[in-house]
This record gives sequence, structure tokens and C-alpha cells, in this order.
Amino acid sequence: MFERFTKDARAVVVGAVGHAERTGAEVVDEEHILLALLDREGSRGSFALASLGAAGRRDSMERSLAEARRRGGLSRADTEALSGLGIDLSEIVSRVEEAHGVGALGSGNGGGGGRRSRRRPFAPGAKDVLTRSLRAALARHDRHIGDEHLLMALTARPGVPAEVLADHGVTYEAVTRVLYGGGEAKAG
Amino acid sequence: MTEATDLAERAGDRDPRIGLRAVSALRRLLEQLEAVQVRSARNQGWSWQEIAAELGVSRQAVHKKYGRQ
Repeated sequence: MFERFTKDARAVVVGAVGHAERTGAEVVDEEHILLALLDREGSRGSFALASLGAAGRRDSMERSLAEARRRGGLSRADTEALSGLGIDLSEIVSRVEEAHGVGALGSGNGGGGGRRSRRRPFAPGAKDVLTRSLRAALARHDRHIGDEHLLMALTARPGVPAEVLADHGVTYEAVTRVLYGGGEAKAG
Repeated sequence: MTEATDLAERAGDRDPRIGLRAVSALRRLLEQLEAVQVRSARNQGWSWQEIAAELGVSRQAVHKKYGRQ
């Protein structure tokens, strides 16, 4: 699959690993892919983000990602689903933080600092984004997988990055509209 | 007809997607909570054996999951 990735798409994948390393995360996840996408310049993906007015709102997106991390990486949809069961996630977060410090819930499985030199695997969600980017390219009859397909995959996959992007006007429909004009069926 | 609409409404209430999403969210929350508690126990000097006993799993299972700390 990677041989079909454009230079920009590869840069996003490499950049995602870099973001995971910098933040001391154990795995590369979708959030890191989003951050790496926001780093790109002069690519199809960055064109789409800029057209939708999201390019200059990186700080705001990073804040939203940090908030979600503090909730243990659970999305708003997850929070609502839990509340349907009578579980108040914000209450749990505040109790955990009282006992274990701010950000305790989002600090991952390892968390204890120390050296983290080994290679980080891609989490299932991040792998799914890569797979979906291939499908997005195929659905559009694009011969290569570019960073715009990674962006499309992120918006199409339910989760924190899609919610954060949507909050900043970046939905699957909006991305395909600025890139291809008109709306078409979702690649899923 | 009324029976059909009634059924449709109740099906909406019991939409499996909502229930499944809640389960999946709960599972992820559980993983996070477990990580917090295991880390805390380790910081307080608990052995893997002690942690495993409280969690009701094997020592190997806990160590494999959290061992590289």
C-alpha cells in the first residue's frame, strides 16, 4: 500500500510517528496523524484545510485534542453514550485527577516517562485511517494516495479527530467539495 | 399499522448502535482506569503478583501489559 503514497502522504506518516515520539505516546494514533497533517504545506491536504479556514486554527484544534486526551481519549459521542448508561465521564475524570493528578486518565499505558527509544506501533485506529485513505483514493479513482486522502479518512472515521475537525468546519463532505467540487458518496 | 409504528419507536429506543457504542466507550474507559490504577500501585511499590491478584488475572497477564514501565 505504501508504494502508492505520495511524498506528502509519506511525510504525514513519518510526521505522525514524530508527534507520537515527542509526546511520549506509546503508540501512533489518529491524533498524531492529524497533527502531522496540520504540519504540511503546499500539499493537497493543506490546501483543503486552508480552503476551509482550518489551517490557521491549529492552536484551537490542539486544545480540543488535549481536552479529549484528558477524558481518556473518549470522543463526545462516547461521552454521550456513557451518559446514556448513567455514567458521568466528567465526574470520573475529576475524581481520577483528584487522586492521581491532572491528565492522569489520558497518559496512556506506559506513562511513567523513562526512555522510549523503541519503535512505536500504529494503533488500530491509525491503521484504520491508512486503510480508509486507500479506499478514499479508490473511490475517487485517484491513482495515488495523497495527504488529502488521509484527511478524508480522518473525517470519515468516527472518533476524536473527526469531531475536532468537524468543529473547525472540516467534514468529509466539505473536504471532498473543495477538492473535487460537488458532493459524492462517502468512501467510508 | 399502529403496532408497526409503536414497534419502530421502541426499536429506536433500543437501537443497538447506541448500546454497542456505550459498551465500546466503557471498555476504553476501563482500559484507561486500569492503567492509572496499575501505575499508581507500582509507584507505591506493589508487586505484579499483588496487582494481578486484585485484578483477578494472572501475574503474567499484568506484567505483559504494563511491564515496560
